[in-house]
Amino acid sequence: MSRRRSWALASGFFAIAVAALGLSAYSGASSSQGFAPEQPVNFPHPRHVKQLGMNCLYCHYAANKSPDPGLPAVGTCMGCHSLVAGPRQPIEGVADRDTAAITQLYRYVATFDSSGRRGAIKPADQWSAIPWVRIHKVPEYVHFPHMRHVNAGVTCQTCHGPVPEMQRVYQYSSLNMGWCVNCHVQGYKLADGLLAAGDTAGARAAANVEPKKARYDCAVCHY
Amino acid sequence: MSQPPKTAVKRRDFLKVLGSTGAAATAVGCSQERVEQLIPYLVSPDHTVPGVSTNYATVCRECAAACGVIAEVRDGRAIKLEGNPDHPVNHGALCAKGQSALQGLYNPDRYRGPMIRQGDALAPATWEAALTLVRQRLDEARAANGGGGVRFVSQHENGSFGAFVDQWMSAGGFGAHVAYDPEADLAARAANQAEYGTPWPALDFSAARLIVSIGADFLDGWGASVAHQLSFADARAKLGDAPRFVYVGARRSLTGLNADEWLACRPGSELAIANALLAAVGGAGGGTIAEAAAASGVSEASLQRLADELRAATPSLVLGGVKTPDAHLVAQAAARINRAAGNVGVTIKPDAGLAGIGGAVGAQAMAALATEMNADAVRVLFVRGANPVHSVPKAALFAEGMAKVPFKVSFSSYPDETSELCDVVLPDHHGLESWGDSEPVRGTLGLQQPVMDPVFNTRSTGDVLLDLARSNGAMASRMPWATYRDFIMSRYPTGRGAFTEALAKGLGQGSSLARTVATPTLASTATAIAGDGEFFLVVHPSPALGAGAGANKPWLQELPDPVSKIAWQSWVEIHPSTAARLGIAPGDHVTVTTAAGSVTAPAYLYLGIQPETVAVALGQGHAAYGRYAQGIGVNAVDALGAAYDGGGALALSQAKAQVAKAAGHSRLVTVEGSARQHGRGIARALTAAQLAAGETGEAHHEFIGDASHEFLPGLRAPVANDAQGDMGSQGSNDKGMYAPDHWSGMASRRWAMTIDLARCTGCSACVTACYAENNIPTVGARWQGRSLRPFHTADGAGWDTTPGANILKGREMAWLRIERYFEGGEDGASDFETRFLPMLCQHCGNAPCESVCPVFATYHAPDGLNVQVYNRCVGTRYCSNGCPYKVRYFNWHGYGEVDRRQYAFPEPLHLQLNPDVTVRGKGVMEKCSFCVQRIRDAENVAKLENREVQPDEFTTACAQACPSRAITFGDAANEAWSVARQVDDPRAYHVFEELNTFTAVVYLQKVNHPAGGTR
Repeated sequence: MSRRRSWALASGFFAIAVAALGLSAYSGASSSQGFAPEQPVNFPHPRHVKQLGMNCLYCHYAANKSPDPGLPAVGTCMGCHSLVAGPRQPIEGVADRDTAAITQLYRYVATFDSSGRRGAIKPADQWSAIPWVRIHKVPEYVHFPHMRHVNAGVTCQTCHGPVPEMQRVYQYSSLNMGWCVNCHVQGYKLADGLLAAGDTAGARAAANVEPKKARYDCAVCHY
Repeated sequence: MSQPPKTAVKRRDFLKVLGSTGAAATAVGCSQERVEQLIPYLVSPDHTVPGVSTNYATVCRECAAACGVIAEVRDGRAIKLEGNPDHPVNHGALCAKGQSALQGLYNPDRYRGPMIRQGDALAPATWEAALTLVRQRLDEARAANGGGGVRFVSQHENGSFGAFVDQWMSAGGFGAHVAYDPEADLAARAANQAEYGTPWPALDFSAARLIVSIGADFLDGWGASVAHQLSFADARAKLGDAPRFVYVGARRSLTGLNADEWLACRPGSELAIANALLAAVGGAGGGTIAEAAAASGVSEASLQRLADELRAATPSLVLGGVKTPDAHLVAQAAARINRAAGNVGVTIKPDAGLAGIGGAVGAQAMAALATEMNADAVRVLFVRGANPVHSVPKAALFAEGMAKVPFKVSFSSYPDETSELCDVVLPDHHGLESWGDSEPVRGTLGLQQPVMDPVFNTRSTGDVLLDLARSNGAMASRMPWATYRDFIMSRYPTGRGAFTEALAKGLGQGSSLARTVATPTLASTATAIAGDGEFFLVVHPSPALGAGAGANKPWLQELPDPVSKIAWQSWVEIHPSTAARLGIAPGDHVTVTTAAGSVTAPAYLYLGIQPETVAVALGQGHAAYGRYAQGIGVNAVDALGAAYDGGGALALSQAKAQVAKAAGHSRLVTVEGSARQHGRGIARALTAAQLAAGETGEAHHEFIGDASHEFLPGLRAPVANDAQGDMGSQGSNDKGMYAPDHWSGMASRRWAMTIDLARCTGCSACVTACYAENNIPTVGARWQGRSLRPFHTADGAGWDTTPGANILKGREMAWLRIERYFEGGEDGASDFETRFLPMLCQHCGNAPCESVCPVFATYHAPDGLNVQVYNRCVGTRYCSNGCPYKVRYFNWHGYGEVDRRQYAFPEPLHLQLNPDVTVRGKGVMEKCSFCVQRIRDAENVAKLENREVQPDEFTTACAQACPSRAITFGDAANEAWSVARQVDDPRAYHVFEELNTFTAVVYLQKVNHPAGGTR
């Protein structure tokens, strides 16, 4: 191979690589699907949702009335956990508490002595905020109104996956545009949503419900 | 020069290259977005939902009118101000200054906490240290001479605060408190008080048949501009029956440009004209037309015609608002004309009008204080809000006086010229963080409440004064309130419960605590305009920057002056004939010299200035006051001496001047291409006579196709036609959302806008409202310019630090601009007409931009919007080339990207950004979206409430702010919306109709009332 040809070949491959790089960056094909960061408090969704039967909207209280789903205030946690605290004698028939996670929560609201023993719960104005790590995020040029979806009957699990089963929450869906548009065009099947939420009876009853479509014009979400 | 060694690419090297590229690709492809944290509340506040706005009613503190505002607060941050619809002054409208109060709140140069002077500079301190120091110095002052040497200067504000300070000063045995307002029309107030018995009667423009303004700029700063504008626009909206408006003055201000006729008189001759008019309506003490003509340079015939017209038109409305030393006499003569013509009680309503404006003083009182300071009579000086060092003439020696005061305390929020001379700064809360009250009209209280937690470590001055009073027994007993809020609440006539209830609306019944100040007696004489020189110098407040307070807000700096269309600059207005005589070209530096001093600025050739006069605006020329204000332009006060009018305000037209061409030339930072329409029929008008005769006015372009303003639910866009089968594929069954019967119903709407040019005054409130709503970056600051020739700039780093450098390259970002066109007057001698036209994306049904976009980033939505999808845009700018309206703006430098030098929202300005609108990055095209976020929000709210969007339920930011109510937005396909009725107006037209763009913005022609018209 002549010197010149090898140069041409190299730069040709280089150009292809650059184009591929550009395309992959531009296409938005990247996704954080599966992202499962460690959280400052190892909040066990299964304990709260699956075992205790708490509704998603108890903590994510704005999901049905705001574009933002809302995060529980520290005060919401402490509503129960000022009583449901730390180590205790096991009670028959009640699963054991994850005292380590509760202790993580108390790091933000209570005093600890030098030996690591927990003292009193501080007044609310002396608490510190829990810096949760954000998992689900659509780019800033996308406007996703949670309440439109929740009020249309889309179950949380349809997009967020089996959160009640997740010891550590991860990003279940790709959140790519194709994933969004697919549902807007094909329509949301209530039966599938209910099944994802574990409501098999409801899903059977909803088997013949027409898929619910949504507008798919660009400016419905991009502005 | 040696040859570089030739190298061969070996397979190995090649793989290395490929490998690293692949790694980079992998890195991009799989990289996590920057990991963000989600910070929850500690305890959820009541009545707030994250992501949903809460609105608080409060009071605008940007001028003395004290308009009511509604602050939209999202997640604890105020993001938008709108007028309070229930407020008796502004009825929901808000001017550009009011809009930009947010940039005062989030100003990056605000004092972030208390400061104490350490040597030459102010250094951060704690509140305890600062207050201890102040307490100690007050005690010393009290010990020295019983506290008589303590003075308080405050920026005058409507409401109880002035009287509160009075009470504090008298409780402490301190000296005088002066409430300074550099922009107040004190001469007019004094004359009104003498003639009507009230400082500012309500003006009913729509009741008048003739409006004569003698230098009264009632649309740009004279009195309550928004209130006047609402009434004036209603008057002009009477079209054929609208009052004719004649402006008498040396300079055609924004108000003057809205007049049907301009009588260009010499400054100082207005009194002679007013007296002649007074005689014409049979008032005592008038003068003759001949005298007026001789003094003013206006022809006798014109004055006689005006006098005849005034006699014939009843009721009329005559306003005197000049800024000469005899301003009070002119205002008095105007009042007497109104009395003689029977206008009082009809167009002038003394029993209504502005209240709460009493007790303001002007520069004369500041000069008196300066004299005291220079005589070492002042030991402690408090300054709050006011900036006399910038706005008082140098001859008064205010700064020199301050240097002689041993201890100076500033409550200023901003590092202005005055606070920088102080020893302690105790920064006040911004108005949007404070409690307070105002009395906009008699008997009505405007309630001011904090709309959010303070941005910085500031404290309300009221609270600080109460704190200082507590350490002194005598003062504490006279100032018993725990907080300033307590004071405001305790004053509320029907109690605290009722106060809390009234806060929701921001309005209550009652009156603010009035200051006890003597009513000045109106002087019967005045000093004459003096000095050497061929020219008169007219200095005037800037409509946007006022006397300088607005200069630190980039929205106001970037807002082109409504008259000259110049931003980020000072300029000298000079008549074209004068300029030709002196050999001055536009942009040539001109030095204006008076006995008091001189200013040098580039020349702007302006038809609307009397040929023997030059004019310079106030507002610029700051030596401090933060990054946006400092070093921009010149301070016109430098050319003014210590001459005052009968109300004690600085006489702004006080001297004759010499005008000389100076060395140097600066390009004018203007956003206009041409001041003329060149026959393009952009801004159209018809005369009242034509309207009465049923004519459609100027050249009406017929074109092939449908009637010009027919808005069928279906669209005219090729894509829509395609979907609807006109040109489409017959084989396709799926017409998509463009099909009129599509389940989504999107194509049944046609979002459209009408703009009534008869109402529009060109005030530009809509422009600033658009900046605020749509996260539009300002681009004119010194650090935002990038040189085209990087290595030829002075600093060699490629930065062009000329203010407005980007605008000079045509890179301003105003999605909505006001075009200002002159008609007639080409000879430089005859009168001319001005037309204002708000120009924004026309949302063409058949848009030239859409067909040229290679990536479908701009396309036509089924509901009639011309959409720009930022994430699709690759920045070819073909669309901008295709746009005949030039309303597409390219983001050249990533103004929305925090790590760029050109970043337009330095912390904490970014807290104002509207979370509903994307902050655009570098390399994308952007433009007016018809506030699509508001459309979507209305749809979301309607859906939540399980109903349809109601007609006129919401509107765009520009229409909401407009103090002329010129803009109407809505669904033109549904007759229930106002806009659908307005597009059928016989005055309706599309700009560049002949291009078959089928625009969704419909203009309604202006109606002129030329002299000798139908009336």
